[in-house]
Amino acid sequence: MKRNKGRSRFIALCVAPAVILFVIFMIIPTINVFRMSLFERGAYSPTETFVGFANFKALINDSLFIRSIQNTILLIVVVTMVTFAFALVFAGILTRENVKGKNLFRVIFYIPNILSVVVISGIFSAIYKPENGMLNSLLSMITGQTVTVLWKDEPLVMVSIIIAMVWQAIGYYMVMYMASMASVPQSLYESASLDGAGRVKQFFQITIPLIWTNIRTTLTFFIISTINMAFLFVKAMTSGGPNGASEVALSYMYGQKDAGLYGYSMAIGVVVFLFSFALSALVNRATKRKPLEF
Amino acid sequence: MKLKKLTALGLTLALSASLLGGCANNTPGGDANTPAPSGSQSGGEPAATETIKVAAIETSYGTDVWQQVADAFTEQTGIEVELTVDKKLEDVIGPAMQGGEYPDVIHLATGREAGLTEQFIKDHNIAEITDVLSMTVPGEDVTVGEKIIPGFVNDSSITNPYADGKTYLAPMFYSPCGLFYNKGLFEEKGWEVPTTWDEMWELGDKAAAESISLFTYPTTGYFDAFFYALMYEAGGEDFFFDATHYAEGIWDTPEAQAAFDTVAKLATYTNPITPAQANDQDFTQNQQLVLDNKALFMPNGTWIVGEMAEAPRAEGFEWGMTALPALTEGGDRYSYTFFEQMWIPAGAEHIDAAKQFIAFMYSDTAADLFAAAGAAQPVTGIVDQLTGDNQIFYGIYDDGAKAALGSFASYKSVAGLGTVREVFFDPVNSLVSGSMTEQEWIDSIKAASDQMRANIQ
Repeated sequence: MKRNKGRSRFIALCVAPAVILFVIFMIIPTINVFRMSLFERGAYSPTETFVGFANFKALINDSLFIRSIQNTILLIVVVTMVTFAFALVFAGILTRENVKGKNLFRVIFYIPNILSVVVISGIFSAIYKPENGMLNSLLSMITGQTVTVLWKDEPLVMVSIIIAMVWQAIGYYMVMYMASMASVPQSLYESASLDGAGRVKQFFQITIPLIWTNIRTTLTFFIISTINMAFLFVKAMTSGGPNGASEVALSYMYGQKDAGLYGYSMAIGVVVFLFSFALSALVNRATKRKPLEF
Repeated sequence: MKLKKLTALGLTLALSASLLGGCANNTPGGDANTPAPSGSQSGGEPAATETIKVAAIETSYGTDVWQQVADAFTEQTGIEVELTVDKKLEDVIGPAMQGGEYPDVIHLATGREAGLTEQFIKDHNIAEITDVLSMTVPGEDVTVGEKIIPGFVNDSSITNPYADGKTYLAPMFYSPCGLFYNKGLFEEKGWEVPTTWDEMWELGDKAAAESISLFTYPTTGYFDAFFYALMYEAGGEDFFFDATHYAEGIWDTPEAQAAFDTVAKLATYTNPITPAQANDQDFTQNQQLVLDNKALFMPNGTWIVGEMAEAPRAEGFEWGMTALPALTEGGDRYSYTFFEQMWIPAGAEHIDAAKQFIAFMYSDTAADLFAAAGAAQPVTGIVDQLTGDNQIFYGIYDDGAKAALGSFASYKSVAGLGTVREVFFDPVNSLVSGSMTEQEWIDSIKAASDQMRANIQ
């Protein structure tokens, strides 16, 4: 009995640092976000006033906030779909087919992931430049006339951000899927091809179902990271402009803090927090399948 | 076994200790609610060993000049200066200030994206410095108020944000703002710099025939100085005051309509690629349009010369600057006088020494050092000290242009309302790209203006 007590104490002591860190840096700040969303205060002012749910009520009528949420959802849906489609197809090709320079491709696809977002925004600034930019020059060469598409102007700015975000994310997820695809036994493909299944059918009937658990997990990760990455990309590439057209939820939250509405920006934080929680749960539920084993 | 357990325990304890070590005891910098001492303070010499913390934004004037001025101040008063100069000053001093630790003096202008100074104004979190005006400049026998060019304090809604006759922000580094252009190109083409907006549109058509746009702007943030000067031209001082205080019905007046029409028409003469580059990442590309003769004019300040010093440019390029063209033949032309601000957070620890530092900014020693770096302090006789292009730029007021001063009145932040820049100037991007009409722009301004008036401070 006495020995058991000592053991529990020992375990408690060992776990303590992690628990303390977790409480100080995760639990308390999160609770604080919820608390501060009920107050009105400036970021630097020592005083605060309790306003109840007024911040949340104001959010519903704030058309700029609605637009930023719309942009966030657009990014989550489109970037996720495009990235996953490309990552899966590329991973499938690189693992299943006999491509020359497989490792080289893997490295090339992975490079954008190592670059910082600021560097990426610099690269895309050069790509999207209206005059002599890479993309417009390429289009001019193909069409044979001078093309000046304004990639970062109002109608196209979200498309430009989507392209940059997809470009950045593909490599990482491709490498993840390649790893799990490599563990799918070769024999399954062999028997499938004896039964007359083509490459495409094999991909959808064998590869995808067998790595489904992996896809599910990465999907949840990806949705949450898209919400965060969208902030970085928007901040570095367009600062929310022109005229707020590329504002996303988190960049709008950041801007409201600068406008002296700390409580209001925390209310946005709460909404984003609950939104990403709900979305992850939803995705988790919708993608639930009976796990297949090989 | 026992050894293993002991080692694990030891390591855990070490980790815990280091964790607690991180929570070092930081005594907050003074009582945040300390009221600023009022009345004349010229005599209060602080102890010689005092150290004040000065935080200044790094701009095109460089960092060295701040060290030189700080050294000169220490030599004069014996007060040590701990200097923080950074391009992203908000990010450097912001977190500490949220924790209640304030620098003693902050040099950071309003109108920046992070709006830190505006937040301090809105929160009434700045120490009053009216008494600095009657303080003697350290090392000289004149008062600060006597040295500052009339009009920069007292009449200015920027230095006296609450319109109560009390000064809170000290004016620093002034710069005339106007339209910058390539003088060489005008000489080459034989074009005259327009003096009225009608001449401006004529020139725009002429330039368009040569595939040159009339106008561009770095970001919409540069429209504040432009729009202020335009409002002065449209309706003079009274109109400007009413407009910047969101007076009821002010945006329905013919004066306001003239200003809106001018901006809307200018939008159609603006180089179409401008909005795509009007962000913090690409704005220099818009400035480059003027250097490359792809646009004739852009609103800017005298710092542009230093900012684009390394940029490639068209042959025969020479900077020129003009006040805004007049709205009517023979009407007044205005150039907005931009200036930065230095202020003391109400929570600062050494307010008296900080005031001395501010007073020293207007000494001949400091003004000379700043002038050598290209920055003009608003003290009498400074223009004679400037050299090169700057002397011409600062001489704009001698050439008949009137000085426009002031800014939109501060209002209490309201959720969903947006800042002055978001409401008034950001839509210019949409006007240029055609996704918004002039009437939509005016309507949104009117709606926001009503809320701003209700929350004016």
